[in-house]
Amino acid sequence: MSAVFVRGLRRQYGDRVVIENLDLRIGEGEFVALLGESGCGKTTLLRALAGLDPIDGGHIDAPGKPAVVFQEHRLLPWTPLWQNVALGMETPEGRKAAIAALREVGLAGREEDWPRNLSGGQAQRVALARALVREPKLLLLDEPFAALDALTRIKMHVLIRELVARHRPGVLLVTHDVDEAVAIADRILVMREGRIAASYQVEGSTGLRDTLLQELGVESDTRAA
Amino acid sequence: MTIQLTERNTITAAPRKREKAKLTSLQLNVISWLAPLGFLLIWEAGSRLGLISPQVMPAPSAVAATGWRLIANGLLFQHLGASLARAAVGFAIGGSIGFALGVLVGFSRLAEAVLDRSIQMIRAIPFLAMLPLVIVWFGVDETGKIFMVSLAVMFPIYINTVLGIRQVDPKLLELARVTGLSWKATIRRIILPGAMPSILTGVRYALAVAWLALVIAETIATTRGIGFLAMDAREFLQTNVIVLTILIYAAIGVGADSLARLLERQLLRWHPNYAKES
Repeated sequence: MSAVFVRGLRRQYGDRVVIENLDLRIGEGEFVALLGESGCGKTTLLRALAGLDPIDGGHIDAPGKPAVVFQEHRLLPWTPLWQNVALGMETPEGRKAAIAALREVGLAGREEDWPRNLSGGQAQRVALARALVREPKLLLLDEPFAALDALTRIKMHVLIRELVARHRPGVLLVTHDVDEAVAIADRILVMREGRIAASYQVEGSTGLRDTLLQELGVESDTRAA
Repeated sequence: MTIQLTERNTITAAPRKREKAKLTSLQLNVISWLAPLGFLLIWEAGSRLGLISPQVMPAPSAVAATGWRLIANGLLFQHLGASLARAAVGFAIGGSIGFALGVLVGFSRLAEAVLDRSIQMIRAIPFLAMLPLVIVWFGVDETGKIFMVSLAVMFPIYINTVLGIRQVDPKLLELARVTGLSWKATIRRIILPGAMPSILTGVRYALAVAWLALVIAETIATTRGIGFLAMDAREFLQTNVIVLTILIYAAIGVGADSLARLLERQLLRWHPNYAKES
């Protein structure tokens, strides 16, 4: 069974067509990264999948409600961590689940703490816990690590791989970071002008990074590989 | 070839000279009271030496004695109680209406279109200018006074409630949608707490104007309340009672402000700005 199945998706703002006839399928437990230049429609696609924006054509078929982690943590500052994680299900069972989810992201015992006491990386981990506690079939990540420092980002990459391996949601990661995509995805899609322009399976190939940079219009790679 | 580095830059931790410079907060607190106390002493001395006429400004000791006399015969608390009751009832009525209208207009653009212009027009009237009309409408009994306080309180609460609701981070509202939060839960968990700092600013401001409205309303044909005490004293040129009532109004104003601060500290414990203050 697939985590999401998209057929002929179209999305436009007024006369400007942002996504045209887009097909996409993400399998259960599959980690897909979506690369593309700014304005190529990748965030529009994620918002359509999340149900935040209406679609103008085609159909999206996803079992259950997808969970989203945004670039900003979007924690409620007036609410302790466990209630942030269990938002909308603040029952004794919800609390138990939230505490377990916080433990999973390495924040055991912090359930009564407040968002203002967290570092950027910790806050983003709470946002991950909030997404995973809902056991989504589809997890949408909208550049969730972009605002983190390099070291924290690498730790988050390891964490997210572990969590996805355990919970097996289908994942769509929107990013503009080629190295991040290669490091954590199973499959990488390149989006251009509202379509999926290319698709690559990641199998530890060293040439993939250069190919992807070429796809994104970066002529020569000046950095040492 | 070796380069000899002869100069060494060493930084050692110097013991801090604490005891020399820093005054404790208690000491600073004591110092802050010196000027008002000195002022009182000079005032008292001036009165005793006959430099200040008791008709113009009674000595602090005379005011204190008057206060004590009115406490002893129970009159002070009777009048204070009447004033506080008016303020409380007026605040409750005006505050509830302001809050309800604020919530309505904050959430609905339609309600804004229907209500906001009229409310802003009424707000443009200085509420004190309404006083003659209020007397015609309600006569000189309690209703008119409570009406004045309610009117004064309504607008700051209304404006800050609308503002607070409108300023709730749209990103958090988006979060509510993706987590499938119900409409009720969105209001309770996101919108009201998000609007709370602004609403409390409105409460604080409303407490101040409520007091102002009360002072004015009470000076008109009253038989009870602090205002009556002052007007009655004026008839008999009891300057010491007049000064006493002014001091009571000041004290209650300070009390109302501390109440608002307390409320802020309790309800906004999560807020970094208020957490530091406590």
